[in-house]
Amino acid sequence: MNLELTTLFALGSGYLVLLFGLAFITDRGWIPRGLVRHPVVYVLSLGVFASVWAYYTSVGNAMRDGYGYLAHSIGISLAFLFSPLLLKPILELTRTYQLSSLADLMAFRYRSPWAGTVSTLVILIGVTPLVALQIRAVADTADMLSAEASQGSIAIGFCILITLFAILFGTSRRAGRTRHDGLVLAIAFESLVKLIAFLIVGAFAVFGAFGSLEGVDRWLMENPELLNSLKETDYFSSFHVMALLFFTAAIAMPHMFYATFNESDGQSSLSFASWGLPLYFLLMSLPVLPILWAGLQAGSMVQVEYYPVVIGIAYDAPLITLIAYLGGLSAASGLIIVLTLALSNMCLNHLILPIYQPTAKHDIYRWLLWHRRVLITALIWAGFLFHYLPDERISIQLIGTVAFTAGLQFLPGIVAILYWPQGNKKGFLTGLLAGVSIWFAFLMLPLFLEDAGPISLITINWREIAALSLIANTLCFVAVSLLAGSSDEERSSADICALDTIQRRKRSGLVAKNPDEFIKSLAKPLGMRTATREVKQALEDLNLDFNDRRPYSMRLLRGRLEANLSGLLGPSIARELIDGYLPYSVVSAHGSSDLTVIENRIESYRSNLSGMAADLDNLRRYHRQILLDLPLGVCSLSFDDEIIMWNHVMEEFTGINEADVLGSQIADLAEPWRSLFSNFLSDKANHTFKHYFDMGEHKKAVNLHKAMIEESPRQDTSLEGIILLLEDITETEILEAGLTHSERLASIGRLAAGVAHEIGNPITGIACLAQIIRDEYPGEELNGLAEQIIEQTTRTSKILQSLVNFAHSGTSQSQYEKEPVTVADCMEEAKTLVSLDKKSKDIEIEIDCDPKAVILGDSQRILQVLINLINNARDASQPNGRIMLQARLTQQQVVITVTDQGFGISPAIKDRIFDPFFTTKEAGEGTGLGLSLVFSIVEDLGGDIDIISPFDRSKGTGTQVKIRFPCYHDRHVDDDNAGDDEHQDRNVRSTIGRSS
Amino acid sequence: MYIPRPILILLVIIYLLFLISVDWINQADGAWYRPFLLGLLIVIVASWAHRERESDEP
Repeated sequence: MNLELTTLFALGSGYLVLLFGLAFITDRGWIPRGLVRHPVVYVLSLGVFASVWAYYTSVGNAMRDGYGYLAHSIGISLAFLFSPLLLKPILELTRTYQLSSLADLMAFRYRSPWAGTVSTLVILIGVTPLVALQIRAVADTADMLSAEASQGSIAIGFCILITLFAILFGTSRRAGRTRHDGLVLAIAFESLVKLIAFLIVGAFAVFGAFGSLEGVDRWLMENPELLNSLKETDYFSSFHVMALLFFTAAIAMPHMFYATFNESDGQSSLSFASWGLPLYFLLMSLPVLPILWAGLQAGSMVQVEYYPVVIGIAYDAPLITLIAYLGGLSAASGLIIVLTLALSNMCLNHLILPIYQPTAKHDIYRWLLWHRRVLITALIWAGFLFHYLPDERISIQLIGTVAFTAGLQFLPGIVAILYWPQGNKKGFLTGLLAGVSIWFAFLMLPLFLEDAGPISLITINWREIAALSLIANTLCFVAVSLLAGSSDEERSSADICALDTIQRRKRSGLVAKNPDEFIKSLAKPLGMRTATREVKQALEDLNLDFNDRRPYSMRLLRGRLEANLSGLLGPSIARELIDGYLPYSVVSAHGSSDLTVIENRIESYRSNLSGMAADLDNLRRYHRQILLDLPLGVCSLSFDDEIIMWNHVMEEFTGINEADVLGSQIADLAEPWRSLFSNFLSDKANHTFKHYFDMGEHKKAVNLHKAMIEESPRQDTSLEGIILLLEDITETEILEAGLTHSERLASIGRLAAGVAHEIGNPITGIACLAQIIRDEYPGEELNGLAEQIIEQTTRTSKILQSLVNFAHSGTSQSQYEKEPVTVADCMEEAKTLVSLDKKSKDIEIEIDCDPKAVILGDSQRILQVLINLINNARDASQPNGRIMLQARLTQQQVVITVTDQGFGISPAIKDRIFDPFFTTKEAGEGTGLGLSLVFSIVEDLGGDIDIISPFDRSKGTGTQVKIRFPCYHDRHVDDDNAGDDEHQDRNVRSTIGRSS
Repeated sequence: MYIPRPILILLVIIYLLFLISVDWINQADGAWYRPFLLGLLIVIVASWAHRERESDEP
């Protein structure tokens, strides 16, 4: 079969243009997001691992190793089937700290730029053969299909298209932060194309070459040696090493790291891929054997690896050949695109940026974008040049094995990240260099040496070399790590990465105190524009406000900035920048941990806890809930006065939410709380009782208690701090004041009754005697004196009567019959009575009363209330003043107001006007019992009283007395008891009103 | 180290299947696609083990 070169070019170009189009419309958002972000797309994008190795090399492996060819699929499947062991924890780390490659992960964990640089160099050297392998496979197959095609021209054309695609769709200005949807969908499409192509070729092998499945069985019965070689257990010797190679490759190979972690949507996608990807590889492995046997039946003389393409030629089915070629092209291009993208990031972060960094004058994003593009181009063309180098006798299977064995050298380092916190950078670097040296000397070098005698790759046992390099690597890693010991920084990052430890972020203060200072500090290396953008992005990621100044928030912001810059510049450069420009002001003692962070982490990890850990967590939550629900305000402070607990009562009392205050310091609280807590904390006493302070317009009373949380010498984390309790006693104080007042009134009442009785008798006697003198003894002068005595005794009797009334009010309500009273009638009568007094002649009294205003009470007592209030208003009014009597009926209440235009009540005496015997009138003018009596009567009748003075705020004059009585309805007659209960409530309210 | 319970069960099942199926796969007269049936069984068990659970991950 001989296809024209133009046909192959058209097929290849057309396919890649289709990819361009797909990526383009995805990036434009023309494909529904639900489809683009579907877990199936993620699984298919991971199919990038099924490169030329799975497509072509598997057939050769099946020929040599029988079922051993499945090692490739089984290795990668095991990594995903047990993703909670390695992949999921690493995904969490890479997402949290924005680590975009294995080199980033190594530099982050082992706290050394060298770890990143050496890892990058090893991966770069190790995977270049893999790129070359893809190019060679495409060129070889094209060469087989077309006589006029030269391998070189096909390879060049292929590389040009791939380079363009990777540059256009793989690089963006925000690399490391956003998922490349277009690229991911295009790679997923490639995986789908190669799977379908391979299945079609496999189906053709079964039904086209053999006629049916039974045909395959019949042919196998005729060739029993094939079935025997398939099932002989010799393949186990290489199977384990192979499976381990591909297990490690799931993380160590840059394209897999990129596809698994950088383009993931999170843990749920990975859970889906944990069984989806094994299914994909199961399907990819299925057609291998039929294709192999169909090729053998046809007696093809070409390399076994290329049977997928060859069987179409052998059985005269050009369409199958083209489909197979397209599948191979798809497998090769997908891997090269993703691999070079991942490698370009690694090279930039770990080889270029440590040597040369852009200055603040540059647009950093643009600088990074162009450097990344140049690197992608360089890497693809390096692979192109490399594909010429190996001896043609060396199969693509051996080239691939060399590349994957390089990845194996990272296995000890990767396992130690999660499971061995004692591992350190010296151990890692020593182990890696030892393993890589063996790999380079015995596997890599022989690729280029045509006849190297004992170390020729064709004769050497690569399994032993791979095992030897891994053993040497592991031994050196463990031995050097144990001997060298870890620095504090390494221990800290080991704690962050290790699965069985809780992250301990130190509680240290920062020099920069707010986001604005962060921007100013970072503007020096990054430029103002980039610094502002990064700080704002980090704040957005953390859901923090730009005005947030809490030390806790600033620590979070610093960590987030480091993670975001790590995604942009790599962890080493990011750490250098952050440590240099956002330093800590005071480094806290070792072990002093950020409890808020620990708590958040336990909360997010809760569903993973089981057994005793879950019990302890339940116990912790129970105790925490007790503190949160305690009917006392609880505020827990760290050793540096940072608030780490703020319970519900505290929130309610202060009006400050827990979320707003956690992590801030006492000094950052608003007044009056800052002064209250600061003064109490600086005080030596551990208890303060009845502390009064003003909160807005209200006066509050609190008891404060504090206790020191002492550091325990046995614990490795210091937990010293202070717990502060706040007890709101304002209500209790008001009730106590009310009770005291009532008791005083009661005692005055008893005293008044006694005094009135004792004085009343002699006064009556004096009055009688004076009347006798007036009536019995003639004489104008004597009569006049007697008349004056009678007048004075009458006045004294009135005072005594007031005293008696006051004493009796509130003590025996039953002596008054409650009846419906029309307020309007009472007002008219009061006006008439007051008008009789000569003092009232120059005062105008107006009545504006709702005729339906009816209350339940005693008309005489209500009359007394009105007269007393009108008299007071009159005394306070200027001549020709006006007094307004109003009554309004609301749904539940009758509101009576007495308003004057007088000089008002001074604030100094406002609280005392209801006190008995308190008067501002001159001696002889008033008893000081008027308002007390009014208060008592209103209380008795179930009302409350309020005084507004000055009533006219603009002039500062006038007083309004407002009395509210329950509105009378017919049902009140039957519901008297309920009214009594209400009455009790009102008493309390009116008392509170007076005291405050 | 925390390993979710379904994953432990999956580990045990895969190990047991491997032990009992090596001979079955390698029987001289056995069908060539037996390993793939075993693989499919493992994928089904894995899809159960990795089913979406209520998660409190942030």
